Amino acid sequence: MTLSYRPGDSLAHRLDPRTKLAFQVAFAVAAFAHTNPRGLLALSLVPLGALRASGVSVRKSLREYRFVFPFLMAGPVVAAVTLGPPWVRVDAGVETAMASYRVVLVLLVSAAYLRTTPVRDSRAAIQHLVPGKVGRLLGTGVGFVFRFLPVLQADLRRIREASAARLGDERGLVARMRLVGIAGLSRALSRADRFALGLRARCFAWNPTLPRLSFSRGDLPVLAASLALLGWAFV
Amino acid sequence: MIETRDLVHRYGDEMENDEGRATAIDGVSLSIPDGEFVLLAGPNGSGKTTLVRHFNGLLQPDEGEVLVDGTPVSEDLVAARTRVGMVFQQPRDGFVAATVGADVAFGPENLGLAREEIDRRVEEALSAVNMEDRREDRIDELSGGERERVAIAGALAMEPDHLVLDEPFTGLDAPARESVVEHLRNLKAAGTGVVLVTHDLRDAFDLADRVVALGEGRIAVDGPPAEVRERLAGFGIRVPPVSLGEGPPEQNP
Repeated sequence: MTLSYRPGDSLAHRLDPRTKLAFQVAFAVAAFAHTNPRGLLALSLVPLGALRASGVSVRKSLREYRFVFPFLMAGPVVAAVTLGPPWVRVDAGVETAMASYRVVLVLLVSAAYLRTTPVRDSRAAIQHLVPGKVGRLLGTGVGFVFRFLPVLQADLRRIREASAARLGDERGLVARMRLVGIAGLSRALSRADRFALGLRARCFAWNPTLPRLSFSRGDLPVLAASLALLGWAFV
Repeated sequence: MIETRDLVHRYGDEMENDEGRATAIDGVSLSIPDGEFVLLAGPNGSGKTTLVRHFNGLLQPDEGEVLVDGTPVSEDLVAARTRVGMVFQQPRDGFVAATVGADVAFGPENLGLAREEIDRRVEEALSAVNMEDRREDRIDELSGGERERVAIAGALAMEPDHLVLDEPFTGLDAPARESVVEHLRNLKAAGTGVVLVTHDLRDAFDLADRVVALGEGRIAVDGPPAEVRERLAGFGIRVPPVSLGEGPPEQNP
């Protein structure tokens, strides 16, 4: 899967995870503040730069997010169509389309983060930024999700393959979705049980020793860019 | 007949160039006639599982082609998946229903058969693995060996010409392994072709008509078990010891 951490030596790999989180948040705020075409056009350059700095191709990232696109494309259609005259409200459709586009930009920036940040570093960054029990809970939750999700994806893939091997793909879409959904849920629950057992067996702790984080000079321009994005968001 | 012609399969992002992807199968040409019992051996990562997944179209070749009874798999997936049954390495990966009977019926239902025919096939398939009285049992309450047998029954219910089993002995104790071997013996006697993927040949060596060993995605050894026994050891493949009377013929003075 492209959108999981891969070791590397790109510029983004060398950044402190707190810097990358700050940049992500600042970009998201700016993207939600500037929803006009000119603002979105300017913001479009940011994901391109972020992906380039992390060594991830734009095409691959878009492909990884392909399952989101039907929902993002359905939004403008639903917003534009009315149940009575005038039947189609173009302005509402365009506005929602720009909102959907904004989401794509945020997802692309997050792709750069995911590709260049180990789960443990993300957890450490979150616990540094959000102190106390809330931070520990958030950090642990993020760690669990990023570790558990690829396993579940692999389970779903195996269920689909097994079904296809006995011609399950000859069934209708609804039947296939029901089959993968029910089998997937059952597998997820069983995985969760084993995951919990594994955690207990290996002395799971809410406050383990986390990786040491440190800012370097390379973080400064990115932090400055984050501040600039935040400043622009509130102009 | 299953046939591969110069089959190449690479893993990795399809948008990468060929150099950026790992080659799992590297130009394999192989013919498996109907009714033949083939042991497909090789160390971990040699490409065994990748190769057999091409037999019923679960993977698409990057180069070359795969044919079942002379028809390219890509042209008729239904025919390929009907003629080549697949039992996965982890049986639980292959289950799609909660009970034994419902799971074994899954394949025949997808063929659009009449209910009576489906019932007959389920009955026969379960009977072939001695599970005929377990039809209403929940799969998650079965032992490892029983799950393996249900997985075999699920593939048999498609009435395939060839049955492919990917590492069926993984995690099974000795009695369960012997039970699976016994069922494979019955399948062979009934004329069903078997492709058994394994890196440990000890369980089914005597049943095999032929051993094919893969090394780094290529065919390294191919021949009758007795002839290739010595060469297999060089690939880290476990073979059973030579039994008395099986050695080379004595030289007369």
